[in-house]
Amino acid sequence: MAGKPRNLGLTYIDKTGVRRWREWRGIKDTLIDYGWWCVMWKDMIKFVLRSPLQVVKGIFRYRWMLTYLTLPQFIDRQLEGMRGVQLKAGHLLYDIIIKHTIDIIADTFDADRNIGGKKTLADRIVCFDELVPTELMAGFPNLIGIPVQTIPIFLSSMINQQLPPVYLDAIENFGVPADVCPLPSAEAGVAAEGDFPIFGKCFIACNMPCDGSIMTTSFQDRYFKLPTYCLGVPLRYNDDVDAQEYAVEELRGCIKFIEDHTGEKFDWDAFAKALESYNEVTRFHLDLWEINRTDYPQVTGPTPWLYRMYTYHLHGGMDQRFNKADKKVHRLMTDAYEKRLPCSAEMRHKALVWSCPANYYTNFSNWLEQCWGIVSVMDMETHISQVIIDTSTPESMLKGVALTYQRATMRKHTKGGFKNAVDEMWRVAEEYNVDTIIMYDQISCKGMDGLQGIFDEQARERNINFIWVQQDLMDPRTISRRDMRRQVNQYMQSVLRETPIDPTLLDFDDCDAF
Amino acid sequence: MKDLKHLIYFEHLLDEAGNELVMQAISEGKKAVGYTCYHMPEVLLNLDNCFSVRMRAPRTGSLEISTYYMTNYLCGYTKALVERGIEGGYNFLSALAGGETCTEMNRTLEHFELLNLVKNDKFFVSFIDVPFKVTPHGIKHYKNQLQKKVLEPLHERYGTDISDAAIRRAVAEHNEVCRIISEIGEYRKLDNPPITGYEFHVLCLVSYCCPKYLIIDKLRETLEEVKKRRPDEKPSHRARVVVVGSEIDDLDFTRTVEQSGALIVADRFCFGSFPGRQEIVLTDDEPALDQICRFYQETSQCPRYMSQDKVHDRYDFVDKLAKDFNAQGIIYEQMKFCEFWGYERALASHVMTELYNYPTVCVDREYTGNASGQLRTRVQAFVESLEIKQIHKEGGR
Repeated sequence: MAGKPRNLGLTYIDKTGVRRWREWRGIKDTLIDYGWWCVMWKDMIKFVLRSPLQVVKGIFRYRWMLTYLTLPQFIDRQLEGMRGVQLKAGHLLYDIIIKHTIDIIADTFDADRNIGGKKTLADRIVCFDELVPTELMAGFPNLIGIPVQTIPIFLSSMINQQLPPVYLDAIENFGVPADVCPLPSAEAGVAAEGDFPIFGKCFIACNMPCDGSIMTTSFQDRYFKLPTYCLGVPLRYNDDVDAQEYAVEELRGCIKFIEDHTGEKFDWDAFAKALESYNEVTRFHLDLWEINRTDYPQVTGPTPWLYRMYTYHLHGGMDQRFNKADKKVHRLMTDAYEKRLPCSAEMRHKALVWSCPANYYTNFSNWLEQCWGIVSVMDMETHISQVIIDTSTPESMLKGVALTYQRATMRKHTKGGFKNAVDEMWRVAEEYNVDTIIMYDQISCKGMDGLQGIFDEQARERNINFIWVQQDLMDPRTISRRDMRRQVNQYMQSVLRETPIDPTLLDFDDCDAF
Repeated sequence: MKDLKHLIYFEHLLDEAGNELVMQAISEGKKAVGYTCYHMPEVLLNLDNCFSVRMRAPRTGSLEISTYYMTNYLCGYTKALVERGIEGGYNFLSALAGGETCTEMNRTLEHFELLNLVKNDKFFVSFIDVPFKVTPHGIKHYKNQLQKKVLEPLHERYGTDISDAAIRRAVAEHNEVCRIISEIGEYRKLDNPPITGYEFHVLCLVSYCCPKYLIIDKLRETLEEVKKRRPDEKPSHRARVVVVGSEIDDLDFTRTVEQSGALIVADRFCFGSFPGRQEIVLTDDEPALDQICRFYQETSQCPRYMSQDKVHDRYDFVDKLAKDFNAQGIIYEQMKFCEFWGYERALASHVMTELYNYPTVCVDREYTGNASGQLRTRVQAFVESLEIKQIHKEGGR
């Protein structure tokens, strides 16, 4: 590998996680990286110039908006130390995420009543819970589906770890206990602080992924004051008692609800076309994972997770830019695989990452790779629906979408029985031939907490490197990034007796970082 | 007031999950079916040769082993059941009828399967999928789950009669218990009730935890006794409250609240009578199972129902209870680490205070050990505030 990353930890400004200068990756890769960095700034500037007044109002109105100005630093974190295919693929995929996110923010601000947005646009919007994948909106080409929590809190919590505590504190002051999962809790906090934009004709809530998310709906309902449809997605999707009839009926109800509240008619042809596009994206992911099963994985670390989650929930088959980027990355990774190129400087351990990852440390798996050579080839949040939807009839499409929804992020594994969490993990670990499992202990996730002893016992029986990493999803005050790294360091040094690939990354303070 | 004749006997029955009446029924060839949640219709577990036992872990001490399996962050009730199961405390069960109604309880039930906690070859655990709102197709799904995962396995393993006629017979027996408990409960509407919240909690609990046919006579006798019972001339309570929240099977909780000066006049918590002790009225033009499923979904007050109509219904329900039972305040309680009630308690307490104008207080609690100074202090302070409000009201301020 050209220009192997070295001494990455030396250039950090203490506590900030910010580098004194951009990483030198060799001439070619540095130019590629710099070029994409310029593209990112171009996109952001273009966004501001599109409707500068609304953007300025948004910045003053919403605490979370400034976070998006730090996007370039977020991307740098994900791609730190990467070279060649990893770097190019990462930039190609993140670029589309950024462009799409910018579009959502632009629509949000143009329609937001809090900052004098246009009513005509607001009336074309259907608000969605972020856990509901947006495919259904493809059947309403004249409407816009916006996942309401994604921009104010979910994405921003990944970009800036300092943001969620503000909302967590707000909602805990209101009376919600501190032990609940911080994701729905922070969402309720945004509602309590009045930091959700206001628009839309109706709201599609859902019972995914977990108990906390169900309960946070009441807080958001009171804030949005919109007619709400609660999309019920069956929990026991793998049981022999069929739940599909119920699931499909729920989708039909959702379509009718949107029709009733917007006056639009569902367009089955547009829906079918979008699902074909969605299938294409799913096939890309299946191919990516196929390569990652081999001894020459190509796209690893945080990129597959973040991109998979984004496309699964937000692409909805309605944006061809994703498909184009996929094709380019597909070509890159296939070529590299055929040449048997290594994906990282040193792959000492092939790892599966399981359980819910920390939003405040999305690049943790990148650190694992750079510091210890632990290459994450698959993770639980990536390993969600793999259903290819049959688009031949309306009935088959609804069935396919229903199956897809039941396998949504976090829902697929944390609900429907321990087999989906425990047995599935061992199955995937075998399938990807990993020797290490990075097991997140998201301390507030009741679904996974309830299986901790079982995971431990079974790991002992299998004699696999099983590394628990405690974290608190959105609250870095409870368990910091540094604490997360320390847990891995201890295991690698005291149990496996290994030395790090890059000792400068072993321990550093980034408590004040974005 | 003179003590209720059977109170000590009832309390004694509540000292063990497998109490003497449970064991007597088993020795008579009956099958004990455990359950933990209102979403598992109690009445369906009392068919033919089966009887229901709502799961408790009385006198729970250390939770060390269950904490190893389920960490420190899960609710005490769920862990206490696993702990007791590991100790062999539920070997009397023939089945455990549960559902994925809350994640934590679901994990508990799974441990019964994973760790093989009940030594009985025919023992099975069921996991039903209960919809989060009430719709016709949701009720159909619910019914389908109950049929395939609970009733049919009971029939296949234990030869239980699960016919419509058997269900109607079970409903008739269930309704009789409900009538007795409700009639006793109605006395709490009086200004000076002849029964305390604690005593009512005991009666309610035994009706959930003992075979109905073995306890009904004593409940009937108690009803007659309450009818004639003369309360103290000067009531010992200083305020009347409704308790709303998650699972309470710990008698110390109600005892502590009442010793602090509050009379619990209505019990809207799991193991309480609202809902749970209302008659199921069946018609002949529809299968009994369909009607039961609709009844349980419509009457459930669990916060997992997320549709706006059910959310508002929960507030209205508490409002109605407070009005009917002439309560001055509401205690919202929550088992620590309960995700559903953690949110519901926070929001509902604000709603009831600000929109419905009831003084409320929020408490969170462990599964046991509720006779704590902390709880006592909170309730005493709340009672004092209610008294002050009352004085202001009477003084026209």
